[in-house]
Amino acid sequence: MSSEARPFFAPVPKASGWRLFLKTVVARAYPRVIGQQRERSWLFFDVFLSILAVSAYVFVYRAIGAPEEYVGFVVVGGAMTAFWLNVLWSMSSQLYWEKESGNLALYIMAPNSMMAILLGMAVGGIVATALRAAAILLVGSLIFHVQYAVGSLPALAAVFLLTLAALYGLGMMSASLFLLWGREAWHLANLAQEPIYLLSGFYFPVKNLGFWVAVAASIIPLTLGLDAMRQLLFPSGAALGFLTVPVEVAVLAVLCVLFLVAARWLLGYMERMAIREGRLLESRR
Amino acid sequence: MSADLAIETHNLGRIYTIRNRRERRIRKEVVALRDVNLQIPRGELFGLLGPNGAGKTTLIKILTTLLAPTTGWARVAGFDVVREPQKIRPRINMVSGGEASGYGLLTVRENLWMFAQFYGLPSREANRRIEELLRRIGLADRIHTKSSDLSTGLRQKMNIVRGFLTDPEILFLDEPTLGLDVNAARDVRRFIREWLDAHPDRTVLLTTHYMVEADELCDRVAIISQGRVLACDSPEALKRRLQRDALFDIEITAPNGLTSAMLEALPGVRKAVLTDDDGGARLNLILAADSALPGVIHVLTERAVQVRHLTKREPTLEDVFVELVGRPLAEEEGSDEQ
Amino acid sequence: MSTPPIYQSTNLPKTLSAAWRSFRIATWLGWQIESNWTDPILFAIYSMLKPLASAAILVVMYGVITNGQFENPIFPYIYLGNAFYIYVGAVMTGVSWAVIDDREHYRTLKYIYVAPIRLPAYWLGRGVARFLTGSFAVLITLAAGVLFLHVPFHPARVDWPLFLLSLMLGVVMLALMGLVLASISLMIAHHFFLIGEAVAGALYLLSGAIFPLEVLPPWLRPLGFAMPITYWLELLRRSLLGDLARGFPTLSGFSNGQLLGILAGLSVLFGLLAAVTYRLCDHQAREKGLIDQTTNY
Repeated sequence: MSSEARPFFAPVPKASGWRLFLKTVVARAYPRVIGQQRERSWLFFDVFLSILAVSAYVFVYRAIGAPEEYVGFVVVGGAMTAFWLNVLWSMSSQLYWEKESGNLALYIMAPNSMMAILLGMAVGGIVATALRAAAILLVGSLIFHVQYAVGSLPALAAVFLLTLAALYGLGMMSASLFLLWGREAWHLANLAQEPIYLLSGFYFPVKNLGFWVAVAASIIPLTLGLDAMRQLLFPSGAALGFLTVPVEVAVLAVLCVLFLVAARWLLGYMERMAIREGRLLESRR
Repeated sequence: MSADLAIETHNLGRIYTIRNRRERRIRKEVVALRDVNLQIPRGELFGLLGPNGAGKTTLIKILTTLLAPTTGWARVAGFDVVREPQKIRPRINMVSGGEASGYGLLTVRENLWMFAQFYGLPSREANRRIEELLRRIGLADRIHTKSSDLSTGLRQKMNIVRGFLTDPEILFLDEPTLGLDVNAARDVRRFIREWLDAHPDRTVLLTTHYMVEADELCDRVAIISQGRVLACDSPEALKRRLQRDALFDIEITAPNGLTSAMLEALPGVRKAVLTDDDGGARLNLILAADSALPGVIHVLTERAVQVRHLTKREPTLEDVFVELVGRPLAEEEGSDEQ
Repeated sequence: MSTPPIYQSTNLPKTLSAAWRSFRIATWLGWQIESNWTDPILFAIYSMLKPLASAAILVVMYGVITNGQFENPIFPYIYLGNAFYIYVGAVMTGVSWAVIDDREHYRTLKYIYVAPIRLPAYWLGRGVARFLTGSFAVLITLAAGVLFLHVPFHPARVDWPLFLLSLMLGVVMLALMGLVLASISLMIAHHFFLIGEAVAGALYLLSGAIFPLEVLPPWLRPLGFAMPITYWLELLRRSLLGDLARGFPTLSGFSNGQLLGILAGLSVLFGLLAAVTYRLCDHQAREKGLIDQTTNY
């Protein structure tokens, strides 16, 4: 041993339990929020172009002479698409990308909970996407003169947050599923995009799909979330709504718990499979 | 098992089954590791030396709780890798050479901070350690550089700092100098040695296929080939096995049909390795005694092969490898990819 | 010292052969990547579900507001526009996503860069697979429209030469637009969206795909008229629907020949734009060292 061998640093107590959980959430959310600010090209592609895409649906309604509140429906639906796309592309597919970039093994090997990693991604994703959603909502509302009639702001906020919680719970759950299905992840995300736009009623009240289709579509939290938000935002919302807001809120709460529990179980299953089979953590590019 | 052991394995084995994707049938079984028995005491820098596909990474994956063994058991820091991974994980860390970690859009500091958080390190302490470690490894001036802008060597240094940042009891370094130039590799080796000197109770398990690295750094070395540990001892002791032998390097002109087998058939020739060299060939001999040399020279003369240069030398780990595996490491490379 | 070559090497056959080789290999590679991830049945379902869902959104919107008046000429206008618009996303994404996929996922962009191939030809080749799956999606969507939604289609009344010529010209034009995006992709990070789809989504508004340009505010209309896709979709509608399409107001003043001329002219313009963008972005990307970056976050 050399003579000047002094320890590089003294040992310090490390956080564990819920404090480690929280630290992990913050740390994994960080790149999501900061990474996006480092490279701003998304502002053009993700915000500006999205506004144009949403506008296309507004003009279709105008072309076929739809009542004005449908324009509002499209704008709100368009804003919420941002969250759906974020869940698909940066939650569901993310563990797959983490595997490809070599981070997944490091995450599993660290003493933190993988749930915290997923939650961190979700929180980061929500914060980063909120900007895009807000931009679509704001610009869309201004350009198309959308009239809102908000009865209860707290109720609206509660529905919005509950929807996001359930939606990102779904994303956390599918992250493990997508990883287990390997290379198909990308395609599955791609596949789920338009059918969900349709089934969740992004551009029209979901009631129009018929009762049973709407019930089946309610497994996607956005369906009921969007429907409840429209009921709380527009005067004619309640008439065009699928179920009453309290029922929709109750279902959303159940979905939220269901997805989070399923996410936790699937993560454990994925980790066990990865450790047993040995191939899950390897990049297959 | 003894409490002083950082790592212990007993008859550890791993078989990969490759399934046919469509038919779900088992198509092939690959034995990556078989009957590995290791006892690594705390405070040791233990080397696993072997070619690509020898099973080094598989062993590291098992010990870092990322892969379950198919036979035998392994304990790390006294805990079973299959049943108690949660107790092992706060105590270990791992660095894989040639692999990026973190996110390209984050800076060096941010990436390292993020990983420190996953281990529960207080932010202030993490930042202090990041600065200290980056200074020691010669990366301090790049602390605010985005990791996507770093060269391969610098990114690898960042990756190494990530491994040391959490001050693990046991650190797994899987080919930490892979792809680094001579200077960067030397920096990394010096850094590892300094850390161990300063933290004598820490254990490092290092895999490498660079002989010099194993020889220079490791307290003990296990030579591994095709999933089996062939020998395990200190580099000196391993080399001492060959001390009683006479080792010769001979540069010759074109071999004219001469083969290693012809020479190994001669009395007293324990091993002969013939490799092509610029315009001629190189002959590495392990002889039971100097007296076997005239027989070799006689065969060369018979085949009109001229000796350009002849050296007698001390054994190296490379010779030990050749003695155990039958081929030099360079020849082994890629011959048995798992 | 070596003797300098007598002729400067501007060997056109060699350039063309390199371009063809790049295109051919990239086409093969693109197809492998695109089709090899699952069994054919799942692949077929996947290729059908996505475009049908897209079309169904518009069908429901239209049905809800008009109480199911699918006989109105505006419906085939919307339906056909949307069906052929699938090509816009497919071709532009196919060509441009190859850059991000090669760079961030397969990490092969740098090797492709140093290989003696023509990059634009390579990217165009990578887009072929999406063009083929896109064609399948277009066919399925059209079939669903004709069979279930009274979209008028009489093979004898279709102007097949005009249809095929317009389709071909349009695909070339879209591929050139894809090249513009591919070049831009060299400069941007890997975000969680497909640049091709994002741009296609935005141009949906401006190219009269699902509503006549007259519906747009007057200040936006010139942008619509500058888009080659506008003329392309009009030509496709005219060739398939015949007289019915003449009722759509936007381009009624133009003859088919004029529309073809405008489409060809704008395609050439986009070709030039692609060449300039490629030169600029390629230079910038190499100057900033972005060829082998991995930007995942």
